[in-house]
Amino acid sequence: MIRTPICEMLGIEYPIFQGGMAWVADASLASAVSNAGGLGIIAAMNSNGEQLRAEIKKCKEMTDKPFGVNVMLMSPFADEAARVVIEENVSVVTTGAGNPSKYMKEWTEAGIKVIPVVPSVALARMVERVGASAVIAEGGESGGHVGEITTMALVPQVASAVSIPVIAAGGIGDGRGIAAAFMLGAVGVQLGTRFLVAEECTISGVYKEKVLKAKDIDTITTGKRLGHPVRSLKTPFSRRMFKCEYDMNVSDEELEQMGVGSLRKAAREGDLENGSFLAGQIAGMVSKTQTCHEIVTEIFEEAEAVLKGAGKWVK
Amino acid sequence: MVLEKVIDMLADYSDVESDKITEDSTFEELGLDSLDTVELIMGIEDEFGVTIEMSDEFKTVGSVVKYIEDNMEQ
Repeated sequence: MIRTPICEMLGIEYPIFQGGMAWVADASLASAVSNAGGLGIIAAMNSNGEQLRAEIKKCKEMTDKPFGVNVMLMSPFADEAARVVIEENVSVVTTGAGNPSKYMKEWTEAGIKVIPVVPSVALARMVERVGASAVIAEGGESGGHVGEITTMALVPQVASAVSIPVIAAGGIGDGRGIAAAFMLGAVGVQLGTRFLVAEECTISGVYKEKVLKAKDIDTITTGKRLGHPVRSLKTPFSRRMFKCEYDMNVSDEELEQMGVGSLRKAAREGDLENGSFLAGQIAGMVSKTQTCHEIVTEIFEEAEAVLKGAGKWVK
Repeated sequence: MVLEKVIDMLADYSDVESDKITEDSTFEELGLDSLDTVELIMGIEDEFGVTIEMSDEFKTVGSVVKYIEDNMEQ
């Protein structure tokens, strides 16, 4: 059995988070992961306060285990989401796409454990100082919004810089990845892509099929020109986006406009021409549909076997 | 005094020559993104012994300098 300090801190059985993926991480997926012993996370994404509240209430009906909410800081409704998580007594909040400092005081005073996603050492140090319970060091292998640094390089640097627990994310798809993350100094992991094909994940069948079929080279990052690169599966849409980025006849505004609504179109409608099918580089390792319970127990059995065998090279 | 020191730090960090940086320069003009800004703020804190609340939106060199000066007086 694998237990780390993050299990005690959050009251979970396995040190694993399910990433707060927009238009994917709903009450169905989050409650299934929490029921499997991990930490399920609902994505607040661009939901307004009442939409988020409804999803949280739904999740509470589906699980009595702890679960979290990911607050996307670039959302126009971030202030509302920040208030709703307090009113609904959500036990864990993760944050993405920015610096959560301005909400830290009210969240920590409400007893919420705040665990920001950090793409750099400086931001990790800053959020530790303002009261973060842990940090998620997410490398650029992940799907969705990505930074430059890889998980392999980022996790040990963040682990050395802070004294709070570090959760590794990006590029982890099985037990080997978990074992490796622990070796780099993490005491927990966050997975997104592997959960896309979970039975309890409500995304379109087309999306799941794309992930299951994907090979190692089948993701691409677009949006660098706009300053917020995004990793997704290669589709007619992402290839077109990629081309347009290098076409100076296409304005930044037009480029930005192409992306509007594309996450919903992928996750909910399976629209290959206009949807953005976010996925990480480990998509090539995801080859079967399973329940969240099967995923969580399988990868921790693997991790345990790998970690137990790690001594074989030490003579 | 604070301004000169901040400009020195910025020049060192961004490789923009210090005589090209003024109070009105924005971080964006210096080619710095939000992560660079966090990096610099942490460096400035160490240098001046002040704690900077990132809830303030820092856009220009002058806005950071003013914040440091206000908080050093306390």
